[in-house]
Amino acid sequence: MSGNQAARNLRLAAAAGLAGVVATGFVSGWERFWANWIVWFLFVLTIGLGGLFLVALEHVVGARWSVPLRRVAERISGLALLMGPVALLALLALPRLYPWAQAEGVQDPVVAAKAAWLNVPFFVLRVVVCVGLWTLAHWIFVGGSLRQDRDHDVRFNVRARRLAPIFMIVFAVTITIVSFDWISSLEPSWYSDVFGVYLFAGTFLAGLAATTLVALHLLSRGRLPGVGRDHMYNLGGFLFAFAVFWSYIGFAQYLLMWYANLPEEVFWYREHLDGLWGTLVLLLAALHFVVPFVVLVPRTAKSDARRLFWVAAIMLVAHWLDLYWMIFPVLGKGPLLGWQELSFAAFFLSTGFLWIGWELTRGADMPVGDPFLREGLAFHL
Amino acid sequence: MTDRASSVIGIFDNPRQLMAAIPAVRARVQGRLEAYTPYPIHGMEEALGLRKSPVGGMVFIMGVIGAVSALAFEMWTEGIDYPLMTAGKPVLSWQAFIPIMFEVTVLFACFTAGLGMLLVLNRLPFFRHPMLQSKSMPLITRDRFALAVEADERPLDVATITAALRDAGAESIEVIERLAPVGPVSPRFLLRVALGVALSCLVAGYLTYWGVKLFPLAVPVVHMLDQPRLDPQRESAFFADGSGMRLPVAGTIARGHMPYTIPDSDAAAAALANPLPRTESVLRRGRQAFNTYCTVCHGVLGDGRPSLTAAYGAKPANLVAQAIRDYSDGKIYQAIVMGRNAMPSYAADLSEDERWAVVHYVRALQRALNARDEDIPTGVSK
Repeated sequence: MSGNQAARNLRLAAAAGLAGVVATGFVSGWERFWANWIVWFLFVLTIGLGGLFLVALEHVVGARWSVPLRRVAERISGLALLMGPVALLALLALPRLYPWAQAEGVQDPVVAAKAAWLNVPFFVLRVVVCVGLWTLAHWIFVGGSLRQDRDHDVRFNVRARRLAPIFMIVFAVTITIVSFDWISSLEPSWYSDVFGVYLFAGTFLAGLAATTLVALHLLSRGRLPGVGRDHMYNLGGFLFAFAVFWSYIGFAQYLLMWYANLPEEVFWYREHLDGLWGTLVLLLAALHFVVPFVVLVPRTAKSDARRLFWVAAIMLVAHWLDLYWMIFPVLGKGPLLGWQELSFAAFFLSTGFLWIGWELTRGADMPVGDPFLREGLAFHL
Repeated sequence: MTDRASSVIGIFDNPRQLMAAIPAVRARVQGRLEAYTPYPIHGMEEALGLRKSPVGGMVFIMGVIGAVSALAFEMWTEGIDYPLMTAGKPVLSWQAFIPIMFEVTVLFACFTAGLGMLLVLNRLPFFRHPMLQSKSMPLITRDRFALAVEADERPLDVATITAALRDAGAESIEVIERLAPVGPVSPRFLLRVALGVALSCLVAGYLTYWGVKLFPLAVPVVHMLDQPRLDPQRESAFFADGSGMRLPVAGTIARGHMPYTIPDSDAAAAALANPLPRTESVLRRGRQAFNTYCTVCHGVLGDGRPSLTAAYGAKPANLVAQAIRDYSDGKIYQAIVMGRNAMPSYAADLSEDERWAVVHYVRALQRALNARDEDIPTGVSK
C-alpha cells in the first residue's frame, strides 16, 4: 500500500485504540488502565532512550562505521520526547498503583523509611528533571546533527564528542531512576541493586532492534545508498552480544536472590513466577535470549536482512513482554490479555509508527553534514 | 638448484598491483600462492582462494561440549556421587549449575579459538619458516607487498614463475632455497610434548580421584583421620594427669539416667509400679531389649535354658517358673538394676523405659509358657 494509505490506516488504528484505551478505565478498572499505560509508556520511552544512547555512544568512541546509520538512531530517539506528555499523564497513576503514594501504604515501616525518596513531590520533580535532561540531550545531539546537515559545521563533532561522556553519566543516573521509580517502587519494600543495569540492557537492546528495523526498511527502499552487508553485520553483532548481556544480568539478579533466599527479596520472585507468570517467564527467556542467540550465531546470519528483521522484531516483542512481566503481577491476577491490552497496543504502536513516519520525512536519511560520512560508507570488515 | 627452491617471491610496490597480479600469476603457474603484506588487505582471502576458516565451527562444537560436560559433571557429583544439601536448596538445582556451566563453555570455546587457531590451524610456532631468512622480509614489514609461489609436493618451475611475476609487474624477484630439515626440537615435537603433558594431567587427575576414594588411609588422605583431637582411650597432654579418659564431674548424672535410690530391700522394690502401658510398641521394645541382653543367659523363651554350655557353671533363673511369676513388677525391675547373685547390674545398658518394657515382655513370656485353655482365641480348635 502507498505511504498515504498506510498513514490513514495507522490513524484509524490509533483512533480505535484510543477509544478502547479510554473504555478500559471505565469498564475494567483504573488499576488495569494504569498498568497498561505504564507498560506502554516505558516501552516506547526505552526504545527512544536506547536510540539516544546509541547516538551518544557513537560520539563517545568516535565510531566511523556507524555514521551512515546514525540518523536512523537519531530519529528513533524522538520517541523519548514523545513520551514526555505521556509521563506527565502517568503521574496520575501514582495513587492508584503505587502503595507509597497511598495513605495506608505509607504506614508500612519499610515504606515509611524510604519516604525521603518515595514521596509525590520529589517523584514529580524527578520526572520533570529527567524529561528535561533528555530533551536537552536530544537538542544537543540530534538537533545539532540536523543543523549540521545544513551548515556542515565541523564544530558539532567536537562539541558532541566532548558532551557525550557527560550524557553517559546523566543517562546512567536517569535510567536507574526510571527503573527504581516506575517499576521497582510498585513493590516499595523490594529492592534490587542491579535493576538499573537490567533496564539499561533492555533499553539498549530495544534501541538497537528499532534502529535495525528502521534501517532495514530504509535499505529496502534504497534510501541508504552505500550502506552494505558489513554495516548490518555490526548491528547484528550488537544485537547478538547484548541479547547475551541482558540474559546475563537478568539471570544474575535471579540467581543471587535465589541463593540468599532472603524473605524481603524473594517475595517479588515468588509473585512473578507464580502460576502462569512462571510459564510467561519461560516464553520471555525463549524470545529474549534463546531465539536471538541461536538464529544469530552463524557469522553469515548477522548480515542477513531477513534474519535481522525477524530477530529485531522478536526482540522488541520480548522487551514489551519483559516490561509486562515486571509490572502486571502487581494487579494480583494472572497474565491478562484482552481487548483492553490490544487497544493499548493499537493506540501506542500506531502513534509510534506515525511519529517515526513523520520523522522519516525530516532531514536527510544520513548525516550529510558529517565529515566522516564518506569514511563510514567505505567501511568494510 | 631448481628442485631445492621452496618459494619464489615477487615484490610489488602497492596493494593494487598485488591484487591485480594474483589472478594473472595463478593462471600461469603451479604451486601454492601466498601473499605477505605489512597490513591486512581487504578482499585478500577471496583473491587467494582461501577456504573459509573452520575456527567458527570448532569453537561452536567445543563450546557445546564444554556446556554439556560441565553440566554432566555437576549433575553426577551433586546427584549421584556426593550429594550435598546447601542451605536447604534441592540437591540438583539447575540455578546453581548455570555459573560453572557458563564459565566452562567460555573456557572451552576460548581455548579452542586461541590455541586452535595458533597451534592447529596456523601450525605455530614456526621456528624456521623460509620467509624469515629471505632478503624480502625487511621490505614486507615496511612498505612492500609480496606474492609468493610456494612449493608443495612438486618441485617449482622457477623460470615460468619468474616470468609470470615479472609480467604481472613485480619490481624484484627472489628465490628462496629449501632449508635443511630441522633438528630434534621441531614444532611437531613440541606439539607431541604438549599433548603428552595434557594427557598425563588427565590420567593423573583420574588416578588421584580413584586413589583418594579407594585408599583413605594413604598419606595425605589419612590426615583427615589423624587430627589433633582427643580420641577415646588415648593419652592427652591437655589434662594434668595425662589421661584422656575422664570421670564425670562430681555431683552430675548422665541425661536420661536418674540414680536408683531404692535400698536393697524387697519390700521397697515391691512398691514400684510399672509406669508404661501394655501396648504392642512397648512389648516390641521390650522384646528387642530382652533378645539383646537377656537371652544369653535366660534363653530365648526366658526358661533358663540358654545357648551357654555347662562349662559356664552358674545356673540362670527360669523366668517363667512359678517363683518368678510370683515376683512383683518392681522386684523384676530391681533385679535388672541391682543385679542378683551372679547376674550383674544392667542399669548401664538399659534406660529406665527399656527396663520397664523388658518387665512387660517377661510377663508376656510367662503368660505364653503357662497358657490356659481360656487363652486360646475363639474359632481355633482345641
